[in-house]
Amino acid sequence: MSGSVLLSTMVLQMRQSFSRNMFRFCLIANPILNTVLLYEMFRNSGQENFAAYVVLGSGLMAVWGCICFSSAGDINRERFSGTLALVFAAPAGFPYIILGKILGNTLLSLLSLLISLLTAALFFRAPVQLASPGYFALAMLALVLSFVVISSVIACQLTLSRRTTLYMNCIEIPLILLCGLSFPIEVLPRWLHPVSRCLPPTWAVELLRSAVAGVTQPGPFFQRLLILLLITAVWVLMALWLFRVIDRQVRISASLEVC
Amino acid sequence: MIFYCLLASYCFRTNDLSRWVVGNAFLMCTNTCVFGLGGVFTGERYNGRLRSIVAAPCAKLPLVLASGVFPALLASVTVAAGLALGGLLFGVDFSGVDIGRAALSILCAMVSASCFGLFISVFGLLTDSIHMVLNVTSYLLLIFTGAEFPVSQLPAAGQLLSRALPLTRSIEAMNLLFSGGGARFPALLLGELALAAVYVLLALAVFRSVERACRRSGKLDLF
Repeated sequence: MSGSVLLSTMVLQMRQSFSRNMFRFCLIANPILNTVLLYEMFRNSGQENFAAYVVLGSGLMAVWGCICFSSAGDINRERFSGTLALVFAAPAGFPYIILGKILGNTLLSLLSLLISLLTAALFFRAPVQLASPGYFALAMLALVLSFVVISSVIACQLTLSRRTTLYMNCIEIPLILLCGLSFPIEVLPRWLHPVSRCLPPTWAVELLRSAVAGVTQPGPFFQRLLILLLITAVWVLMALWLFRVIDRQVRISASLEVC
Repeated sequence: MIFYCLLASYCFRTNDLSRWVVGNAFLMCTNTCVFGLGGVFTGERYNGRLRSIVAAPCAKLPLVLASGVFPALLASVTVAAGLALGGLLFGVDFSGVDIGRAALSILCAMVSASCFGLFISVFGLLTDSIHMVLNVTSYLLLIFTGAEFPVSQLPAAGQLLSRALPLTRSIEAMNLLFSGGGARFPALLLGELALAAVYVLLALAVFRSVERACRRSGKLDLF
């Protein structure tokens, strides 16, 4: 039952998201424009294999943009359409439906990485080397997991507010900054490092970068992966707890569509 | 601003972030001048006033220009605040900068950006995807105005486009104030104001042709 709900919600979500102009902007135009911007900024950085940095950075920024403006915004869209209460109370289970939506958005948004790669290759003839493809695939799975978990927590919280658009705009750049999607978190002030380390995408991005550069010693890679899984588990527990609290609260106060 | 300044410090390996503080402070007007003003006609349609505006026997130029006055002033305050805060955060030294000239360059930039926003807003009469147009526009300003990297890095076509966009000349003029070489300062600001005039005329021309087309087809309120 839950598997079919997840699958059908994922497919429906992908179709609905792709039919929206703004999602298509986030998915297609955003990675192209980001790649051009980051390429011009990085090209004199003197960094080896900087094209990979550009492709990963712009692709990940676009992936997060898609997730942020869709997964978070979907709650508001349901509210605006008057279907939020129906989805919330459906016997299929609100968490499964939301998870299906988030999974659909996240998987579809991974196309941005490919678009960034194509942009760098076509516009700049930039050679992108991927030293450890196997590790990269593993890191990509970790990235999907981390984005899904963090989006679930955000989506849960947004059921409580009608100012979703404001919050979506407020969380996009801070997460890009804190998770080091376009530059390492070492550039950030030291007092922000613990905050970054508590966010699962930070670890996933580091895994991706190490896979692009080449994993010579599997030990540190798997150590980071383990830490990522542990932090993700904490975030999953937080999402479950939040959902229970919010579920109870909105049922008691009947405030789902008016808060 | 914080994001792009930190990114610049990493990419360009520098601690002197004055040109990025200037560039990104100027780009802070995007919210008011592009997203705010760019949606003027879409907003009028949403509120049901578009038909009245088109049918009213009044001149359209003052009507279009009036929408840009307060956003330009508000954006000037935003940019000045952005410069001050960015300067504090990233340790920019304003001691050698002529404040009067700096204020003049901010004002010229905002007039130009507001006129550009009004020009973009007319496209709201032609498309239901104005938000996409506005988002692409904000990225074009980010890439082509020299706020994030020198315009000279761009290919010839890109440099040509950068000259046709608002803010490019003002950002260059403001950067000249920091470097001390201000000989080209008046020419750059005059160029920015001339560009503003071109955008107003373009906005008016497009508005008139769209108005005529809408009167003929009766599709003004269709989306």
